[in-house]
Amino acid sequence: MKGYEVISSLQDHIGENDLIVSSNGNISREVYHYLAKPQVYLRGSMGLPIGVGLGLAVMNPEKRVTVITGDGNLLMGFGSVITAAYYKPHNLKILILDNSQYFTTGGQQTVSSVINFSKFLESLNIDYFQSLKASQSILNDNLENFLTTKGLNILHLIIEEGKKELANIPWHPIRIAENFLQRFD
Amino acid sequence: MINLDEFVSFIEDNFDLVSGVPCSYFKEFLSYIASQEDKSTIKHLSATREDEAIAIATGAALSKKQPLVYMQNSGLGNIGDALTSLVQLYKLPILILMSYRGLKEDNDFPEHSIMGKINNSFLGSLNLVYWDLNEKDWEVSIQKAITVMDEQSSPVVLMVKKGVLSQ
Repeated sequence: MKGYEVISSLQDHIGENDLIVSSNGNISREVYHYLAKPQVYLRGSMGLPIGVGLGLAVMNPEKRVTVITGDGNLLMGFGSVITAAYYKPHNLKILILDNSQYFTTGGQQTVSSVINFSKFLESLNIDYFQSLKASQSILNDNLENFLTTKGLNILHLIIEEGKKELANIPWHPIRIAENFLQRFD
Repeated sequence: MINLDEFVSFIEDNFDLVSGVPCSYFKEFLSYIASQEDKSTIKHLSATREDEAIAIATGAALSKKQPLVYMQNSGLGNIGDALTSLVQLYKLPILILMSYRGLKEDNDFPEHSIMGKINNSFLGSLNLVYWDLNEKDWEVSIQKAITVMDEQSSPVVLMVKKGVLSQ
């Protein structure tokens, strides 16, 4: 499965109570195009989506916050996984889409493949974790458990490279923030 | 040193979340926050890096909560992208308390000497609004920072010298 197919599958699992933080590059673009708007579409700040999601989650315990990040982004802000695991907000979900590439910038290889994610995630002592190859047959059940198990949950999916040609996000970041902030009026 | 009872109670009244990376210049302030953790209305999250603290604060600001970040000015070197491609780009109000290392008290700490010298030009090149937090008029200073943050939807940096929030 490709990353945009996983993101598009999330449509069936999220509702009004869901806040999503998407990481820069293709992931933000895909979240903008496939999922309910507005969400937090990061355009830059590589390495910071988990931190943003953590701040949102602890400040809004009644909402569910899902961070969608790639492996390159994850590696740049790796400490944030540890911070999130330490504070364990019950409403934070982290979805890692791992193609072992900086795909947006042309498919340069990352170093993510050296990590044994099952062992690493197990060591964090969090409420739910899975590390598996994304496939249509298992995806929906796993997304459901990942999103509905109470606690800090991390789902690491190995995905195939590939993207849909999608238009750039038409909103300037100022408008992204304004539209998202309106959800808290 | 600023009276910590008054300072922390003012912070609790005006902010919802505190995050940062410690500096000895904040030692007393941070131990006070830690000692109040159970009864405090404010959430405190220790960050692994200064840009992570900015990210956590961003999450708060994006849900209409008021965040406060603390760090050394060594962290200024770590937050350039977090400011330019996140906080300033999305126009979010965040208050940053930054310890001013590398002044003459830090003669024995060469690790701070270069940033100490370029501190103001570094802040200036990031177009950051900043001034000193002083023991005498700290409340006016933070109040003014909150006004600027509200009016300009932008971050404000308050520089904290030795002895202001630590002994």
